[in-house]
Amino acid sequence: MRWILQLFSRRRRYDDLSVSIQEHLQEKTEELMETGLSPEEAMQRARRDFGNITLIEEQSREAWQWPAVESVWADMRYGLRQLRKAPVFAITVVLTMALGIGANTAIFTLVHAVLLKSLPVGDPQSLYRLGDKQEGSLTAGTQNPDGDFDVFSYRLYRHLRQSTPEFVELAAMQIGPNPIGVRRGSDIPVTQASEFVSGNYFRTLGVSAFAGRTLTDDDDRLGAPPSAVMSYQAWQTQYAGDPTVIGATFYLQSQPVRIVGIAAAGFYGDRVSLDPPAFWIPLAAEPLLLGANSTLDHADECWLYALGRVRPGTALGPLQEKISATLRQWLLVEDAYVRSGIAKIAPKFHVVLTPAGRGIQDLQQQTGRELYLLLAISGLVLLVACANVANLLLARGAKRKIEISMRIALGAARRRLIRQMLTESVLLGCMGGLAGLAVACAGTRFILALAYPGAAHAAIQTAPSAAVLGFAFLLSLLTGVMFGMAPAWIISHGDPAEALRSGARLAGDRTGAAQRWLIVVQTALSLALLAGAGMLTRSLLNLEHQDFGLRTANRYVLHLDPQGAGYGPEQLPALIRALDRKFGAIPWVERVGVALSSPLDTGQWSFQVSIPGRPDPGPNAQEVLMDRVTPDFFVAVGQPVIRGRAFTLHDAGGSPPVALVSQAFVRRYFPGEDPLGKRFGNYGPEDTAACEIVGVVADAKYADPRRPAPAMFFRPILQWQETLTDPTSISIENLSHYFGAMVLSVRATPRDFESTVRRTLAGVNPNLSVIDLHSFQFAVASNLNPERLMARLTALFGLLTLAVAAVGLYGVTSYQVSQRSREIGLRMACGAGRGRVVRLVLRGALTPVALGLALGIPVVLIGAGFLSHMLYLVKSYDPVSLAVAGLVLAGAAAIAGWIPARRAAAIDPVRALGSE
Amino acid sequence: MHGYALVKHIQQVSGDLLQIEEGSLYPALQRMLKEGWLESKAGISAKGRPTRIYRLTAAGGRRLEQEVSSFEKMLAGITRVLAVAPH
Repeated sequence: MRWILQLFSRRRRYDDLSVSIQEHLQEKTEELMETGLSPEEAMQRARRDFGNITLIEEQSREAWQWPAVESVWADMRYGLRQLRKAPVFAITVVLTMALGIGANTAIFTLVHAVLLKSLPVGDPQSLYRLGDKQEGSLTAGTQNPDGDFDVFSYRLYRHLRQSTPEFVELAAMQIGPNPIGVRRGSDIPVTQASEFVSGNYFRTLGVSAFAGRTLTDDDDRLGAPPSAVMSYQAWQTQYAGDPTVIGATFYLQSQPVRIVGIAAAGFYGDRVSLDPPAFWIPLAAEPLLLGANSTLDHADECWLYALGRVRPGTALGPLQEKISATLRQWLLVEDAYVRSGIAKIAPKFHVVLTPAGRGIQDLQQQTGRELYLLLAISGLVLLVACANVANLLLARGAKRKIEISMRIALGAARRRLIRQMLTESVLLGCMGGLAGLAVACAGTRFILALAYPGAAHAAIQTAPSAAVLGFAFLLSLLTGVMFGMAPAWIISHGDPAEALRSGARLAGDRTGAAQRWLIVVQTALSLALLAGAGMLTRSLLNLEHQDFGLRTANRYVLHLDPQGAGYGPEQLPALIRALDRKFGAIPWVERVGVALSSPLDTGQWSFQVSIPGRPDPGPNAQEVLMDRVTPDFFVAVGQPVIRGRAFTLHDAGGSPPVALVSQAFVRRYFPGEDPLGKRFGNYGPEDTAACEIVGVVADAKYADPRRPAPAMFFRPILQWQETLTDPTSISIENLSHYFGAMVLSVRATPRDFESTVRRTLAGVNPNLSVIDLHSFQFAVASNLNPERLMARLTALFGLLTLAVAAVGLYGVTSYQVSQRSREIGLRMACGAGRGRVVRLVLRGALTPVALGLALGIPVVLIGAGFLSHMLYLVKSYDPVSLAVAGLVLAGAAAIAGWIPARRAAAIDPVRALGSE
Repeated sequence: MHGYALVKHIQQVSGDLLQIEEGSLYPALQRMLKEGWLESKAGISAKGRPTRIYRLTAAGGRRLEQEVSSFEKMLAGITRVLAVAPH
């Protein structure tokens, strides 16, 4: 209680104190006067004997204060008052910091959402994944040269689940997004993402239902009535939260499936993904939905990730060993693997247990490096902004020099002054931080749209979370201290007597030197950012304008899913012919190509190729891309057949299997030989000589636009290899006929292009839904989205930095001109021409810039090392980018110096000299 | 007694042996006020001008006794040590 009373009585205490001290001095003065001193002498003597009055009063008051808190509060009020007096300065600083902090916070929001956040599940820490790498497609699991096993077949998963009681639960989930056709009642079918999961999936993750129930082991029994759980997001966006969805029967891939519940509201799945599943479907329903293409029962078809909750207290090392041993034993007795010769390489296979609290790290592995690099780049922007603000503070501090000297002379403690100036700069930092949050909110959406275009962003929250707010606040404090420390130190260490004597004329050498060094740092960092932006932009241009080996103009790609419309393999040829006929009949359509996948689609098929008379490739051999196409496909995509013949309509049914191969294929397998008439197979030992090469097509980029054109072979999509006996091979052969893409080359694009395409498709079968329809150019360009993001953002950040640095240089130069106006006036009075004055000022401004450019070159060379893995046909010491960045910077600096230099030259010597 | 009177009082009573640094008196007085050992009220100085009069409180008196007794103990100790010290 007492302290509250004290708080209220404090004002009175302070008055008491002043009164006491006043009386003290007066009595002493009077006494001294009685000894014969004059009143002035007596007063001086009394004051001298007493000591530093201000300081003593301050120290006395401190007895009543919580010193730290209160003086900070007082400093803050004082700081605010100072800033109100200099609004232009305050606004400039706040805006500069807002850009710097905003850019960082925006990037951090992404880094946090994608890389740092735990899954919204119960107790994420005890979740572990079997495996660590991303797998894109159906494989045998044996493709990693180091023997790392990351994906599992259903049979292998069941086996591991039964043999590892160390897991409270071990769940399985599909490796990739599984787009399916979804129809409710007689609605038009739409394509939505789904995921096949084991029955214990929700129990493993500790996720409950928002409404209805989640899946159980009973749903995941063969013969159980097919069921699925819908995501809250899909329920809200697609079905407006309609409660009758729960318990309703939907048609997934044209099969009736009951929706048993809606998953918890924030749950987006087992990983941060751009297209989170709308439906989770039990693995047991896979044969129903995929029909003849089911791989549930194939021991060597791996398409599941395994993720489980480890029993508390389990040692992970031994568990990992045990799982690896179980895996090896299982591989050695499983027919499908034994036949492929697994025995030779079995010992190297193993499983790596990885923490899965943040989910399966697919997206993180794809974009983590880029995100961290962006964070580093935005950090550079902030550094430049800080240097700039420090410079402004120095200039302002020099203006306040007299005030500060006065305060030091009157007894203010240096430490107290520094603290007060720091409070002011931290205050500025925090105001910048607040403004920065607004910038970040807008920026995050923009960057997200740039980083992951066209994604359903359910899994990536852009609203600032507590972590993001904390980050922005810490950053504000830190930057406030960073840009405030040096100026506060320099300003408070001037010699007060000197400053007071010389009036406002001297800027102080230390201030000037510090300002020049800050310009040097700014220039060097700006050069690094601009050069980096230049390299990434050049790399992007190289990627965009490379020769893909395709013609993209006047072409469109349509993705569709015949499986979702309920087609069996035997119905596919008729469907393809119908599509060919109907679309070919549209007047403005030139050619129609139907294919398993179109160039640069994700998830291209690949096979190991065996050639008669050569050794068995073994399970680890390099794979070759494969596509199945109609005869007109090569014309439709503009890929020339350079030798032999293209496919014809006679390459159909059970006719002798033929293939076309790419030039890269020829280089790899038949260097220096004539490939025509040669034979190869892609189903292992049983058909090494199945296909005859009848032609060679020019190389084209089907997979990664950053890599050389891959070795490829093409098979006719209307032709079946009927001699196969192995069930897995037969299943793959069937599956590879389920075309996913149609390419249309057109003479013109009429206004009703899209509706005509949809109508024509519906005319063939109304159940066929359009997954997407884009121009071929767009489809190819979207492969380069990560590069585009990096190039655009670094360019944006580079320009931002350039502007900040130029404004900073301008401010410092004009300030120096105003400080030196008398000197310049004197020079002009002594006969110096205007040209000389301009040169003088420009030299002063550009010398630190030149030094910065020189120092920036090694910074660029070091920094570019981190970029080298992202550069395509651009060296990390790219001289063009460096030269352009240097010229742009020098140009901006010249302009920023030229304006104050002109002003200096316009100084009237008479007035400048007379101003004192 | 008010501030300056205190300074003079100490000086006179100690026969100029103890000279208080004038400035350091006020922070000390404020700390004692805060601890509740002193109380202060408005008053008139010997010259008839307004000032503040400081007076010892009961708590202050107790504290003084404690300090005095501990000082006496220390002094006694020092005296004994000096008494037996070889000359």
